[in-house]
Amino acid sequence: MFDVPGRIYVVATLLPLAAFLVLLIAGATRAFFRPFRKQGGFAGGMYWVCGGDKPLKTGAYLATGCMAVAAGLGVLGLVWVLTDPSEGSIRASKWAERIDWVRIGPLDTSPQPEWELQRAADATRATPRLALALEVGYKIDQLTAVVFAMVTVISTLIFLFSLGYMADEVRETVEDHQVVERVGGGETRRGGDKNHGDHSPSPHLPPSHSGFHRRGRFGRFFLFLSLFCFSMLNLVIADNLFQVFVSWELVGVCSFFLIGFYYERPSASAAANKAFIVNRIGDAGFLVGIMVAWSYCGTLNIEELTRRVRSPEADSHGTYELASRVIRVNADPIPAAATAATPRDYSLEPRDKPGTGSHVLLFPLAWEEPTHFHGPGYGKHKDNVFEVPPRSDYLTYGVMPYALFVLMGLGIFLGCVGKSAQVPLQTWLPDAMEGPTPVSALIHAATMVAAGVYLVGRCYTLFAPEVLLTIAYIGVITLFISATIALVQTDIKRILAYSTCSQLGFMMLALGIGGWVAGLLHLITHAFFKALLFLCSGSVIHGCHHEQDIRKMGGLRRKMPVTAFTMLVGVLAISGAPLLSGWYSKDQILATAMGYGIEHKQHILLMVLPLVTTGLTAYYMFRLWFLTFAGKPRDTHLNEKAHESPLVMTVPLVLLAAFSIGVAWGWPLWDANASYLGHVLEKAQPAFVPVQFATEHHEAHEHHLTAGALALLLAVSGAWLAWWLFGWRQPADMEMYRPGGPGYRFLHGKWYFDELYDAAIVNPTITLAKAAAAVDKAPTDRPRQFALPTLDGILNTAAELFIVFGRSLRAVQTGQLRTYVLTLALTAVAVLAILTVLVK
Amino acid sequence: MSELGMQPFLILSAFIFACGVVCIATKRNAIGVLMGVELVLNAANINVVAFARFNPAFRLDGQVFALMVIVLAAAEAAVALAIILNFYNNHATVDVDSADSLKG
Repeated sequence: MFDVPGRIYVVATLLPLAAFLVLLIAGATRAFFRPFRKQGGFAGGMYWVCGGDKPLKTGAYLATGCMAVAAGLGVLGLVWVLTDPSEGSIRASKWAERIDWVRIGPLDTSPQPEWELQRAADATRATPRLALALEVGYKIDQLTAVVFAMVTVISTLIFLFSLGYMADEVRETVEDHQVVERVGGGETRRGGDKNHGDHSPSPHLPPSHSGFHRRGRFGRFFLFLSLFCFSMLNLVIADNLFQVFVSWELVGVCSFFLIGFYYERPSASAAANKAFIVNRIGDAGFLVGIMVAWSYCGTLNIEELTRRVRSPEADSHGTYELASRVIRVNADPIPAAATAATPRDYSLEPRDKPGTGSHVLLFPLAWEEPTHFHGPGYGKHKDNVFEVPPRSDYLTYGVMPYALFVLMGLGIFLGCVGKSAQVPLQTWLPDAMEGPTPVSALIHAATMVAAGVYLVGRCYTLFAPEVLLTIAYIGVITLFISATIALVQTDIKRILAYSTCSQLGFMMLALGIGGWVAGLLHLITHAFFKALLFLCSGSVIHGCHHEQDIRKMGGLRRKMPVTAFTMLVGVLAISGAPLLSGWYSKDQILATAMGYGIEHKQHILLMVLPLVTTGLTAYYMFRLWFLTFAGKPRDTHLNEKAHESPLVMTVPLVLLAAFSIGVAWGWPLWDANASYLGHVLEKAQPAFVPVQFATEHHEAHEHHLTAGALALLLAVSGAWLAWWLFGWRQPADMEMYRPGGPGYRFLHGKWYFDELYDAAIVNPTITLAKAAAAVDKAPTDRPRQFALPTLDGILNTAAELFIVFGRSLRAVQTGQLRTYVLTLALTAVAVLAILTVLVK
Repeated sequence: MSELGMQPFLILSAFIFACGVVCIATKRNAIGVLMGVELVLNAANINVVAFARFNPAFRLDGQVFALMVIVLAAAEAAVALAIILNFYNNHATVDVDSADSLKG
């Protein structure tokens, strides 16, 4: 255990899985023994032990406990990783392990080359392995450790919060007023519609019908949460793309279960479907990326992939600056005397025309002499030409087409687009607000959406410059569009959902323009303050008896002071108030953006939009806070009933608020670049980043103060505008928030993305499906009969013909022995007669 | 005594065979049907023995075949009688027309 400290991460990952399995088995046992509940004895007893009629709280405590232990291990591991002085291969042997899961190729039994034998003698050096096995493994570096600690700590706090928030679910029967009930002959009516905030019926009116009754689902909630956390943690520690993909899908299916937790509500099940289907699009891209990586590089291990596509730091003579570049080559013209068996020759792209090579040079996984590297075209290869051996030999050079290299990056990024809700796949995230609020916090802060950004950071070495530019543009488009939509929303959770999209856009932008540290630092800080904001909104919703419309709130700060104060901290952090965690990361992102924009004038948009959005962010977040907590109550009835949440919910809020303030601190406090967390992440930064983006980073450093000052100015004006509109003028009734105007309607309609997709994709698909169904089957009035022109009709007609034919043949089978004998005899005579005629 | 030749034997065999088939096809009594079957078998026996007598190549084979058929006929008669007996137990008749469970 202490030889391989990385194993504590495996333990911490498996803990939530254990909780999940225990809950699953208990639930299944309960369901199995339910028919015997009235009887005594073993069977009846098992039913009552596993929960009985009323959900038990034990399972939830177990899950929370497991998560808390995992968080403890995560923090311990983080400290251990940060204090571990070992370097290089020793470090690798301590913090990474891998085993074969499914071996596809044969084990290599050929005699080992000499350098392999030497390597085996030298235990400190990891032996490169031949490819063709799907593996499971983990690799812990600073990024993994930080993200792991973040995920476990936030998850623990969310579990704790859920114990209070989901307390309703412990009851034997829960009444759900938002379920559409069937009335009379299949007509449906809606109990309450949260989607369209304009005319939602007041929940305090006596309900016109009794709601839908069901058993409380306390245990099920924690069951899914645990599986969710396991998937996320497995994703974080995974060292290869396949394991990432498996966890990726698990995360997806858990989000499906959790968003559709109130699956009797049509809006919830629709949102769950939407989230799942939209994510499938991204996952298809991810799968394409994985397949390209597999077929050309022969491995899915991220580190090995990096070693395949990126050159070493420098060659041993120092004659060629390699610095983890992607090296592009051109195929030589085929000589006239070539045969099919002649290996193709490739040469490095001309130095005066960089970026023209048609192929990417793949490097061997194992060097003959690892410390003595000769760049391609040097050493024993003469001049710039080298020979590419058969692709199956992964111990030597190879090439892959540059277009496929780009496709690989784009594919992986498409997966991240889906998971991290970037344009054009962002539409699922606001709808995902149908889930319980702790789920929103978990999905939007710690886990699912973080997974996309995390994977971009992990696979950073696999992205060509073109892909990075795509990432930057997708990010910048997302951050701007989502922020503008958030300006006019009135549902407290939807504002936060759009703000999440926007902040994820910031991260993607930062990653795309070389701000690897800035983007991932923002991932961590954002996780804390967004979890805080979501849990605060959950506390508000809980306190206001499931009212989510901020126009009806107001003046809640006197009723729920802890929530109001902690949420203010979150709002300040996300707006980039100095010295709070959000400031450090956002400042770095904006400085990077400014450096990039100044260096590349044609990409000035990448600099302008984030700055503008900083102002927008401050505006909508303060608007949210002022409308909810400040001023006089706009709905006195709601306000009277509002109450502060219990301790089990407020304690996580306070803890998260503390994290939101100080998680990025460093010394000196007032220097945005001094963030300790940032320095930690910098150690995990891929080596090529500072080289490839050297000029941009230099510019960023130059304009750091300008960017910070501009951002602060914009944020302050945004906050001031929100204060003036909603804090100072204190609109008294909700009628004020219904301005018209095409711009407002455009934003309120979310840029009509949903409508666009409906018109462009969903409706044609449904039309096609209906047409296919019509071709397939058009039942007539008669049973088992179909209109002839349909597919079913044609097949059924054929079947009917056979039936008629068979029925006519039935008469022959009389069952009478004498008939048979007669037939036999006559047939024999007939055959003989025919033969006689024929033979003559 | 002159040689009769093979032909009369074959004609006799064909006649007995025809009688047997007609018997099977017309008799309603199961025992009668069984008798018809015996006729058919014996017709075949005559055929085989005639060939054995007049075709040197079948000198031995024909005799063996005939013996074989006689043994088979005995066995067949035993089985058939058992079936008939069972049928009688179940249906209180040996009329083959009433045995039509296999009607399609």
